[in-house]
Amino acid sequence: MTVRVLALLALLAALAACARREPAATASAKPAAPLPDDLPSDLSAKTFATAEALAKEGAALFTQNCATCHMADGGGVPYLQPSIKGSAGISNPDPQLFLSLILRGSAVLDEGAKAYENDMAPQDHLSDTEIAAVATYVRQRFAAQPITKPVTPADVAIARARPGLPP
Amino acid sequence: MPKLPVLLASLLFATSARAVLPIPDADNGGLILPPGFHALVVADKLKPLRGMTVAPNGDIYVKTREAGIYGLRDTDGDGRADLVKEFGSGGGTGIALRGEWLYHSTDDHVFRYKLTPGELVPAGPPERIVRDLPNRHQHSAKVFAFGADGQLYVGTGSPSNAYGGKKDRALGATGEDPTEFLKTYGGYWRYDPGKLEQTQADGYHFSTGHRHSTTIALNPVSQQLFIAIHGRDQLSTVAPQFYNDDDNAENPAEVFHVLTDGANFGWPFTYYDPRRHLRLLNPEFGGDGKKLAEPGKFPEPLIAFPAHMSPMQLAFYTGTQFPAKYLNGAFLAFQGSWNRAPKPQKGYQVVFIPFNAQNMPTGDYETFADNFAGKKVIASPGDATHRPHGVAVGPDGSLYISDFQAGRVWRIIYTDQ
Repeated sequence: MTVRVLALLALLAALAACARREPAATASAKPAAPLPDDLPSDLSAKTFATAEALAKEGAALFTQNCATCHMADGGGVPYLQPSIKGSAGISNPDPQLFLSLILRGSAVLDEGAKAYENDMAPQDHLSDTEIAAVATYVRQRFAAQPITKPVTPADVAIARARPGLPP
Repeated sequence: MPKLPVLLASLLFATSARAVLPIPDADNGGLILPPGFHALVVADKLKPLRGMTVAPNGDIYVKTREAGIYGLRDTDGDGRADLVKEFGSGGGTGIALRGEWLYHSTDDHVFRYKLTPGELVPAGPPERIVRDLPNRHQHSAKVFAFGADGQLYVGTGSPSNAYGGKKDRALGATGEDPTEFLKTYGGYWRYDPGKLEQTQADGYHFSTGHRHSTTIALNPVSQQLFIAIHGRDQLSTVAPQFYNDDDNAENPAEVFHVLTDGANFGWPFTYYDPRRHLRLLNPEFGGDGKKLAEPGKFPEPLIAFPAHMSPMQLAFYTGTQFPAKYLNGAFLAFQGSWNRAPKPQKGYQVVFIPFNAQNMPTGDYETFADNFAGKKVIASPGDATHRPHGVAVGPDGSLYISDFQAGRVWRIIYTDQ
């Protein structure tokens, strides 16, 4: 277990370092593609009538909670906050690692994995539905290959219930 | 009275200094400067550069963010460094010469190298003067200067935005009691520059209540130490009910103070509004954008610079090459903002700070060198071509500037043409 977590952290650190050295090689900001219509019922029914509404809410939440540090274009600030363009956590089809980072902030990373000066606070003030919206938006716009499959509040609930990084 | 000889000597000195000035670049190395000033690129495409100092023989020493120290020497007098040597390791920010010693700091320690006359690179390993300073990565630069007493004043920043607890920098950040924290962070400590292996506990805790000061310099006339401090970030992220994007973009000031024994600069409880010239409570500590700090509890800044511009190195101008108004004023490099969005970023410039007859800042400043970013509208720091970080005055009165973005070093000269 510990070895596995350490290995994952080492991989994350390596990927983060890689992304940092080669910002030009990562995908540039892509226009948000429309979401598929097969939104999970718990997401579409509860708050968002349409995929467009979800994307719009996700974009607004990104601006208020993420863009200040990671910048509107996702490019980050040298040495202070990482670029999220094409980052490993965001680009993983399984959203659990990304959701853990949103919910727990940089505290889930060990000291060796912290390549940037500023800490990311836990964004756990956002509801499961809000985090699902912003994560969906970020994966569409900044993943190495745009991920259109929505993140659901149920996914967020799983991440929230877990104390740290996914196993 | 020796007025005439002095005048003659200064004329001769000015003439000889001018005679050896190098030919500037036709484009001034991309910079925009006041009339009569010109620039040339001394070195380019080095690693990201931090603090800088220039030796009496013209050798330049400049820190890198993550690697060693560059020694730069112009061997043929054309103003360009044709000898570029990197030595040491550990990155960091602070650097200063004192006699035969080259002092520098990583984010953890302060070291000094003994220089050999005539040699660019020190022959032996460094001595460690201060070791194992607190470092949690954020605001970790350990800038330093020598005071009038010859002692070493070393800053230790606060690894925090506004001491907002676990949610620092995020919505709902709530201030915690910083008493214990401020015993080891957020201040300047005084050490003996000749004693090895000191720890923070060996130092004298000289000042407190600052978030992150990335420069300290001794006024050559008044012998007082002056500092600049970076103000907090993200007012509108932490407390959008009280601050809109414009409030955040324009608040709080980057502040300029004189450093005195026992000074408390008010962080994390307060910030300074540069437009209204008021000290207010931080929202983490009950502020709402209107509540004022207790009057007189913390010193008024001598200069309230616009928000987020990131003041880096400060250098007093002690040369005679530039027009008289610059003598004993100071140059301050601003690395430029990241926290003004959605408004454009700003501050990618070197400013001149006039000092008055009492050797204090007048409160005003003027842009001296500009266009480092290479564009008018800067959305993100990554878009800037250059970001000035270090400033240092050379033996002939030239001003040197280092670049954190693309590793350029400029030399600014005055030709009156």
